Amino acid sequence: MCVHRPVPPAGGAAPLTCGRPFPVSSLQEANSENIAALPKKASKPQLSAGKRIFHFLISMKLALTLLFVIAILSIIGTILPQGQDVLNSDWPKSPLYDFYNTLGLFNMYYSWWFLSVLGLLVLSLSACIFNRLPTTVKHVFKPRIDVKDAFVANQPLAESFAGGSSVAAAAEVLRRRHYRIKTGKTGSMLAQKGRFSGLASVSFHLSFLLIAAGAVLGGLFGFDYTLSVPNGQLVNVPHSNMQVENHRFDMQFVGKALLDDGRTVQVRQLMDGTVVRDINDGGNIVGQPFDLRPSLYSTDLEIFQNGKSIQRKTIQVNDPLELNGINFYQASFNQSSDGTVVSILEVNHYPGKTLVYIGAFLMMGSITLALYFPHRRIWLKLGKSGRLLIGGRTNRSKLGFKRDFERITADIKLRIGQEAGADDS
Amino acid sequence: MIVKLEEILFIVTVLTYLVASGVYIWHLISNSQKAGQLGTMLLVLGLFAHTMALIFRWVDSGHAPMSDSYESLAVFSWGIVLFYLIMERIYAIRAAGAVVVPTAFIIASIALVLNKGPNPLVPALQSYWLWIHVSIAMLSYGFFALAFGAGFFYIIQEHLLKKHYQNVVIAFVIMFSVLGLAVGLWLGFGVWAHPLDIVDPVTKEHSNQYSGTDIIKIIGGGGIGLAIGVLLGFLAGKGASKPGFARRLPSLDVLDEVSYRAIAFGFPMVTIGIITGAIWADKAWGRYWSWDPKETWSLITWLFYGAYLHTRLTWGWRGRHSAVIAVLGIVIVLFTYLGVNYLLSGLHTYASA
Repeated sequence: MCVHRPVPPAGGAAPLTCGRPFPVSSLQEANSENIAALPKKASKPQLSAGKRIFHFLISMKLALTLLFVIAILSIIGTILPQGQDVLNSDWPKSPLYDFYNTLGLFNMYYSWWFLSVLGLLVLSLSACIFNRLPTTVKHVFKPRIDVKDAFVANQPLAESFAGGSSVAAAAEVLRRRHYRIKTGKTGSMLAQKGRFSGLASVSFHLSFLLIAAGAVLGGLFGFDYTLSVPNGQLVNVPHSNMQVENHRFDMQFVGKALLDDGRTVQVRQLMDGTVVRDINDGGNIVGQPFDLRPSLYSTDLEIFQNGKSIQRKTIQVNDPLELNGINFYQASFNQSSDGTVVSILEVNHYPGKTLVYIGAFLMMGSITLALYFPHRRIWLKLGKSGRLLIGGRTNRSKLGFKRDFERITADIKLRIGQEAGADDS
Repeated sequence: MIVKLEEILFIVTVLTYLVASGVYIWHLISNSQKAGQLGTMLLVLGLFAHTMALIFRWVDSGHAPMSDSYESLAVFSWGIVLFYLIMERIYAIRAAGAVVVPTAFIIASIALVLNKGPNPLVPALQSYWLWIHVSIAMLSYGFFALAFGAGFFYIIQEHLLKKHYQNVVIAFVIMFSVLGLAVGLWLGFGVWAHPLDIVDPVTKEHSNQYSGTDIIKIIGGGGIGLAIGVLLGFLAGKGASKPGFARRLPSLDVLDEVSYRAIAFGFPMVTIGIITGAIWADKAWGRYWSWDPKETWSLITWLFYGAYLHTRLTWGWRGRHSAVIAVLGIVIVLFTYLGVNYLLSGLHTYASA
């Protein structure tokens, strides 16, 4: 799951692991960005068990396999009824039911084997982040500036200019194009754009971990149940020292009704059966309203703690009551045998929710950064031959960078031409 | 009054798109500039009528037109046409109109058939998250469709350049037959089959019950769609198997880049779609994630395109490999968008109402 900095040439041998199975120094080597220069597998015969497990965990093959397995298992979970739904289906009558049930297929997303696969993915991600972080940080904050001539010349996009031109003049052209310039000890320069893009892939994977951590926290310390509260009654809220009173459950339907002049108008039906309609429509309703659909469920709730009222609110679907980390949602309703209307509330407490949301926002930010702000790097140096060498690469959007690079080299040419002209006079 | 006007406007829209489709195809075949300009003019007119129809629908129902299949598809086709017209203005890609405009026509005409008039929103949908969540989700579907189109033409272009005309025909037949099968099955489910509408006496919640004849209609729909797809694919493949056609298509590099760029836009969109959905579900049902089929399939879509990005950005896959993944992705997207609503039950089932 971790993103590799060195992108191999199209169709070339693909690295199956991320980051450090190869020494860091080799990653920094002149042509290390070309995968062929990396040490072969044969060069690491005796590895300790721990290292071997680590290499297994950071392999992209494992991560992609896990994604694939999760996708396939999830499909099974959407085909077979899950949780309570299975009791309303024909499955309990099937001869396969007991077998499937033992396997946990009817509660698949919470079965030990599904959670194990998710856990393995989390492990793999953590190992990848751990593995990538040092090189990424170094790459972003301490990039390599002093490079050899061949390194510049071997970049995917490279150009050289006739002698007499200065590195500083070329750097000025890049600065105008919003590149940040860094000068090295030997006078070489590195012009960069979007250097934090590299961090984005790490923070993206980190966000994944935050979401997983939030989910685990919710699973371990959270609770979640439905609470039936009959109209006008006070009920204890389990897992808390609160009581909840249902002052009034209400519902409305919206539907159509036929008028005596043949027109159909929209009407509302209240809980007691009263039909409400727009008086401007005129005419009289014939028969019963039809096509009724629920348009409102609400409960006037009051919460008590130690006998004292602490909050009152009319909750609706999409508008819950939140108090001390416990949330009360309008879920449904029921009618008991004596005719009392019972409001059914969903009560829950998920301590990890904030982590999940932080993870979600970090994820959105990281994806945007990683995909839309490519890291463009251009090295500039005066070569041994006396020519000005420039060479650059990007991690995304090669075509866009190519256009940028062509404009830059054209500008540098123009600039050099002017300088040469100035020298002549 | 206002409802009738909306329906008339939408019929005008669909008819205009039909004529525009013909003109765009004529433009591709004849390369006539006049035809191209006429096509654009018709498309702009159609988009105007389409926009008015959607506005009337919005005013009439009192909520963003995204609550059922008609509204969702009407907005989707509107987005395709708008996006295409912008693209046409920026890049000179009128040839692509021969594919895009008929697609928009097919989607709009299916919407027309499914229109059952405006309905009040069930309580769970009464939230401003409706239009945020749905429009972002549909935007992501649109980008994945674009990635599919570019990926498909990458494969076609590659075979054309190698003069493997037999493979060109096979590729066209496979694509058209899969799409034909999907559209046919879905027509069977959504239009031809008339399941028993079962209304819970107390809650007035609706659910569907399919009879044997319905199943035959659904399978029949799939069969007819498949047959038409194979025929159209064969004709299109034969028609495209000319050296001249390769010159009309963009270069392999451009197709590869467009396909990747579309996924690079679609992936964040589907991420935001899932996250806004989670926030909304949290507000409505008290759970940000319940493994509902729609949620699960959107996760599968997310995993799939996440894997695409990894193979591309980490393993450096390009060209044909990436194109094949982008093409396969559309099957998952179609299932997430439509298949889940008709084939699987869950919290999102009101979407098929």
